[in-house]
Amino acid sequence: MTLDDTIAAIATAPGAAGLAVVRVSGRDAVAIAERVVPRAALAAAPSHTLHHAWAIADSTARAGGSRGDASGATGHARENEARASDACEDETLDEVVVALFRAPRSYTREDVVEISCHGGALPARRVLDALLAAGARLAGPGEFTLRAFLNGRLDLAQAEAVADLIHAETDRARSLALAQLSGALSRRIAAIEERVTDALAEIEARVDFAEDVGGIEVPEHVVRGLSAVADELSDMLAGAAYGRAVREGVRVPLVGRPNAGKSSLFNALVGEARAIVASEPGTTRDRVSEAVEIAGVRVTLSDTAGLRDPGDAIEAEGVARAREALRGAQAIVWVVDGSRPLGAADFALAGEFAGAAVTLALNKSDLPRAADVERLRAAANGHAPRVVPVSATAGTGIDDLRRALGEALGAGGAEGAALAVGNARHAEALSEARRALDRATQAARELAPGEIVALELREALHALGAVTGRAVAEDVLDRIFGRFCVGK
Amino acid sequence: MREPSSHDGPGSESSADLTFDIVVVGAGHAGCEAAAAAARMGLSTALLTVKLDDTAKMSCNPAIGGIAKGHMVRELDALGGVMARVTDRAGIQFKTLNRGRGPAVWSPRAQCDKARYSVEMATLLESVPNLTRVSGVANHVCLERGRVAALELADGRRLACRACVITPGTFLNGLIHIGDTQVPGGRIGEHAARALSECLAELGLERGRLKTGTPPRLHRDTIDWDAMQPQPGDDPPQPLSHWTERLEVDQVLCWLTATNARTHAVIRDNLARSPLYSGQIRGTGPRYCPSLEDKVVKFPERESHRVFIEPEGRDAPEIYVNGVSTSMPAEVQLEFIRTMQGLERAEMIRPGYAVEYDFVLPHQLTHALEVKGARGLYLAGQICGTSGYEEAAVQGFMAGVNAALGLKGRPPLVLGRDQAYIGVLIDDLVTREHREPYRMFTSAAEHRLLLRADNADERLAAIGADLGLLNAAQAERVRAKYESIEREERGGTSGVATWSAEWRESFEVRARYRGYIERQRRMAERARSLEDVVLPDALWSGELGGMSHEALEKLRRWRPTTVGQASRIAGVSPSDVTVLLVHAKRHAGLAGATT
Repeated sequence: MTLDDTIAAIATAPGAAGLAVVRVSGRDAVAIAERVVPRAALAAAPSHTLHHAWAIADSTARAGGSRGDASGATGHARENEARASDACEDETLDEVVVALFRAPRSYTREDVVEISCHGGALPARRVLDALLAAGARLAGPGEFTLRAFLNGRLDLAQAEAVADLIHAETDRARSLALAQLSGALSRRIAAIEERVTDALAEIEARVDFAEDVGGIEVPEHVVRGLSAVADELSDMLAGAAYGRAVREGVRVPLVGRPNAGKSSLFNALVGEARAIVASEPGTTRDRVSEAVEIAGVRVTLSDTAGLRDPGDAIEAEGVARAREALRGAQAIVWVVDGSRPLGAADFALAGEFAGAAVTLALNKSDLPRAADVERLRAAANGHAPRVVPVSATAGTGIDDLRRALGEALGAGGAEGAALAVGNARHAEALSEARRALDRATQAARELAPGEIVALELREALHALGAVTGRAVAEDVLDRIFGRFCVGK
Repeated sequence: MREPSSHDGPGSESSADLTFDIVVVGAGHAGCEAAAAAARMGLSTALLTVKLDDTAKMSCNPAIGGIAKGHMVRELDALGGVMARVTDRAGIQFKTLNRGRGPAVWSPRAQCDKARYSVEMATLLESVPNLTRVSGVANHVCLERGRVAALELADGRRLACRACVITPGTFLNGLIHIGDTQVPGGRIGEHAARALSECLAELGLERGRLKTGTPPRLHRDTIDWDAMQPQPGDDPPQPLSHWTERLEVDQVLCWLTATNARTHAVIRDNLARSPLYSGQIRGTGPRYCPSLEDKVVKFPERESHRVFIEPEGRDAPEIYVNGVSTSMPAEVQLEFIRTMQGLERAEMIRPGYAVEYDFVLPHQLTHALEVKGARGLYLAGQICGTSGYEEAAVQGFMAGVNAALGLKGRPPLVLGRDQAYIGVLIDDLVTREHREPYRMFTSAAEHRLLLRADNADERLAAIGADLGLLNAAQAERVRAKYESIEREERGGTSGVATWSAEWRESFEVRARYRGYIERQRRMAERARSLEDVVLPDALWSGELGGMSHEALEKLRRWRPTTVGQASRIAGVSPSDVTVLLVHAKRHAGLAGATT
């Protein structure tokens, strides 16, 4: 890895589009681009300007640039050479618009030139070839972002958000990544770090300046403050499940006894929803799995259908299938035929719900209700299921069910999605911080010595720093001296 | 110890020349430790001081130890230093601070008889072989081919040597302020070392200026003792030294009084007369030891500040007024002193004053406290930007030990941050930026639960023995202590009942805090992994893209030798550290490729 050279790559996704952008970044970005778009006169142009120009294959460039590269990139060099030799001397490649961003006000904090070509694979490809021939090196995956990180333009959380943004499949996932990219998450965590550091200063002051500050080990207002911080982390973590759902998508099985109406409900949900991907390969046999977007989450609904064998083993088999579908599910839809009295088969499933968020679809709402909802609630003990009357055949209640499922996934909470913690690494760090804070408040309430409480707080700060990449370098003493009159 | 064999007085150059392995400049707390350690390690050592009587003077408060400082004294003692032993002989009140908190921050402190402390230290030094006391003023360090060759004195004498430890304290270009009066000097009534400071500048060392202060001293017979609250020592008293078998001392009392609205009014009315507020003083003072002026101005909401009244000796007339360091004119000092309960009729023996002095920005030192680029030249104490007797003493010891190790061709002794407060102190000094005098706090040690006063011997005695500064019996005692404790922890029956109080305390602390200590140990190991990534010096001269301008500037200035050190430099962010790791890896790769 090196930051010394100039990299180039096509920055837009492949495929038919109106425009394709080729990005160049590095110390020689301007000089290299100049040779491909000489009429843009970049050398003298100010930063943040657009220039209309013609891209040409520079006859003098040959396969220059990367040939002398000692970093073992001879493969690149040969490839560049081959491409360059395809182009005729001073051949015009495309009519382009050139955007110039001078360091440090650019994505990578290096000089960046972006060349917008006409869409389609060929023009951008030929412009890229010309840039490589002029001395740029083909960028590796994520290398622009890596440079932005290494140059201090992005912190770790932001750099990760870039990757999320690129891979976002729903609008919600995109806005979540954008929020993180803007540093909103980092800022929020920095604010939490501040409060923990303040509490630490209060405690350290009592340890190091016993004679001056005196008083009890950890004052009540500090304990209260720490509890508040722990609560805030809990809120963020509650949003984390949704954030993760948005970022990674979730699988939601529809479970219920045979004839509860799972398949028709599945069809109703899928039929009305906008399917955003085709059926997953390998699961098409009975069309039992389909991805839809619900509350910004890519939800792969799966029907545990196909259990039609008549016989004694039905209940046992149904439970076995459901158990498999339930394994690791974050949320489930429990389908119950509301027009029939509840049977043992209905309740047998409830024991398998484990940690999943349960949405109860009380199907066949067009018929008189015979099921006892309160017994169902009691059966799904601890899961506090949202109960939604639906009629798969009449098509009523489907929107309500979708909304309830979205809520079960965590959407619409106070946290909203704007600041949800979508990244597993972040969620882990935050829960580590919360555990440390819980231990700290616990220790304080048990009147543990200050340096024990301080140990927990330092661990919490260490965990929080893992999200933003900021270490606990904060000078606690600065705060002590700012607030207390200490010293002999 | 022997007196110099010939002393022909000023001007006689040839006959007065003496040759030593190591010359220590200054016989304060740093200098005494440096000289004792170097001489005991077998090097012929000279201890240079202006007046031979001035040995280990306690220029400010009459106590050794205290929070975090007491830890360092214990560590020093476990390594074979002398401060704790002298303190046990000169102490008049012993107290473990922070007893109400956890054992990691229990800190021993002893009020001392100041005069006795000097005498006891001088007596101890007398008994050290290879040590020569020399009276004189250091002017110039002579280097030859980048190595220390000699020290020139103001009277023209030249002490040939191979290493030199400079510990001038506040004497380095010292300037005393009392009101608008300014007098050059390091202590009231004494000289200032100007030439030495200039010499260090000529060596290319960047200097800064710091300020410290001391409160007025009152006359014992003019204080109304009954009007104040007595502050007794511990009963029974615990010695500071691991090697003090018995401590028999008739302890004295300290006393507590406080400032009040009238005191603060006197300060406010006279602020313009304080050199701190008139702009006369440029040096930065310590925030943790603020002058009374600072307390009143910066904390206007506080109606009262505690003031401890401490005797400077068992019979000495001087009484130290702890908490009212000031540089106000003498008459203002007397006026505000007399506003306090018990001090209404007090007379001053000496006014308080502020002193400004030069220090050498310590990033120019290695972790061995050796000046980078001047082999054999070591600095210790206030010259490195610290304050406090204990901070000075431990540096003096480390500088003396490293000077000796260097001359013996052995690698320097560098203690880790998870090994000793001494390690934290020196690492903080040489890898961080300092704007005020550095004092040790327990919160500076991220592995605090491992660095207790009760286990200093476990952590460091083996090193002291290896240096030859502890004898075989001492090393054996420590070994036996921890062997017994560990046997007991495994469920053995070594008979706790027969143990000394010291052993029992160690055992109980370990039992009570086992879980936390274990966690702290794991955290320390985690930190070590970063600490151990070595940054080759060649890295700093090469291209280092991808770092913030500030970080790059700082790194080139400090030239840290490990990633851990780099990460502690202010202005170096974790993302800079990440980049640094990348560069270090690349550098290692290149180095690997060329070999």
